[in-house]
Amino acid sequence: MSAIRREERGGRTVLLTKSLLRGDRVYNEELVEIEGEEYRTWDPFRSKLAAAILRGLPDDVVRPGDRVLYLGTSTGTTPSHVSDIVGGSGLVVGVELSARVAREFVENVARKRKNVIPFVADARDPTKYSITKVDVVYCDIAQQDQTEIALENCRQLLRDGGTLLLVVKARSIDVLKEPEDVFREEKRKLEVAGFRVAKVVDLAPFDKDHAMILAAS
Amino acid sequence: MSEPAGNDASMEKIRQESIAAAEEAIRKASSRPDLHLVQAIQALDDTDKFLNVTATRAVEWYGLHFPELFPIVQDNTAMCRLISDLGRRDSYEAEGLQGRGMTDKKVEAVLIAKARSKGGEISDPDLSRVKALASLGLELSGQRDRLNEYVESMMKKVAPNVSQIAGATIGARLMAKVGGLDRLAVLPASTIQILGAEKALFRALRTGSRPPKHGILFQHQEVHMAPKWQRGKIARTLANKIAIAARIDYYRGSEEPSVKAGLMKRIEGIKEKYKEPPKRQERPERSQRRGRFQRRDKPRRR
Repeated sequence: MSAIRREERGGRTVLLTKSLLRGDRVYNEELVEIEGEEYRTWDPFRSKLAAAILRGLPDDVVRPGDRVLYLGTSTGTTPSHVSDIVGGSGLVVGVELSARVAREFVENVARKRKNVIPFVADARDPTKYSITKVDVVYCDIAQQDQTEIALENCRQLLRDGGTLLLVVKARSIDVLKEPEDVFREEKRKLEVAGFRVAKVVDLAPFDKDHAMILAAS
Repeated sequence: MSEPAGNDASMEKIRQESIAAAEEAIRKASSRPDLHLVQAIQALDDTDKFLNVTATRAVEWYGLHFPELFPIVQDNTAMCRLISDLGRRDSYEAEGLQGRGMTDKKVEAVLIAKARSKGGEISDPDLSRVKALASLGLELSGQRDRLNEYVESMMKKVAPNVSQIAGATIGARLMAKVGGLDRLAVLPASTIQILGAEKALFRALRTGSRPPKHGILFQHQEVHMAPKWQRGKIARTLANKIAIAARIDYYRGSEEPSVKAGLMKRIEGIKEKYKEPPKRQERPERSQRRGRFQRRDKPRRR
């Protein structure tokens, strides 16, 4: 069963996730009532996971009940939707290094949502938040060695057969290379590390020079 | 789907502990004095902008009444003081002007200008609006000066060596650019040298044009006062010493006068060795220049 809903509005597809907390807005998103349930609209311009799903990532990469390690939560926009998707039986372990944005993540998302556990920590040191093995590692950090960091996290915390979702910010890895070349190189790194890369999704027009790589261990 | 890591109750306990730890980490990070400095220097730059806009408007408006005044005074803040204190030009007398720090020559010029002003009459409501705007300008000017003092004194505490080498405002701007002293302390000098000139740097890398010699560091007087051909060398030396100073400030925290002495010596050396402008060198034709990155021949998609 998919936890994500699609609605057609004026020729455009709008993504929604079922509210875990009724009436709770995280970033002033629109709340919609459908068949007696409340859904939160999911803005692809603000959330790269939403953008990736609209650009062809399968709806069920994250499923209800999943445990997700989320690296780079920022203020918690996307994590709140992941929290909606995994639902009460799932778990989101959210890691963010910057205190400035972690403040909003803890305040607006982690404190309110019982399936979210926050850590103000460096993703380079997974021992700081290794509380459980997870089904999905989601990595959205702007570091040159983001792929290596994601792989180390997978090695320590991703279960066998789990999923890696890696947001590749071409501009953070090498500003001079063509984004396509960067995407190919990062994909190659995952394959060398033993991952099967199922999909590389270019996030344009929602995000320039970004791609989402979906891989399975 | 996944093996349970524990029952709900134990997970909730971990969650509560994590939230508490996260909040403590945030609290600790938010009390860093260098973050206050970063805010202060940005507030200073903002205040400068407000001040400029506000004072310029007050001067412009008042110019309908006494257009000859500004060319004599030539200073926005001084104009604001006159407007808000004295009001109509009829009330300009030698004494009041001298009391506001004006030279005798200027006082005389103002009084002559007053006698044959081409300015129009101004009504009470108009005047009181202009005066209010002028006092706002004055207040902003005072606020700017106080922020400036604050940045200077805080920089001496937080980063005494950077303050010595780069100057308080430039040091604070560098910190604001990278997000704090901790980050400045781990940057290579070559990066510090061009902070604030990112656009020019990436253009240079892409097209093979000349890379920028300085970014924020251009504001340092040793750089912008130097003749053009010395600026790059001085900026490089300055950046080297700032990098050292930032590391001492962050990791040790005590003053180290030898860095400043070393800097001055290097700058003297540069000024001595490169006294004369260099002879023009042939540059390869534009089309022959290459950056690390080949020009895009195909138009970019998207």
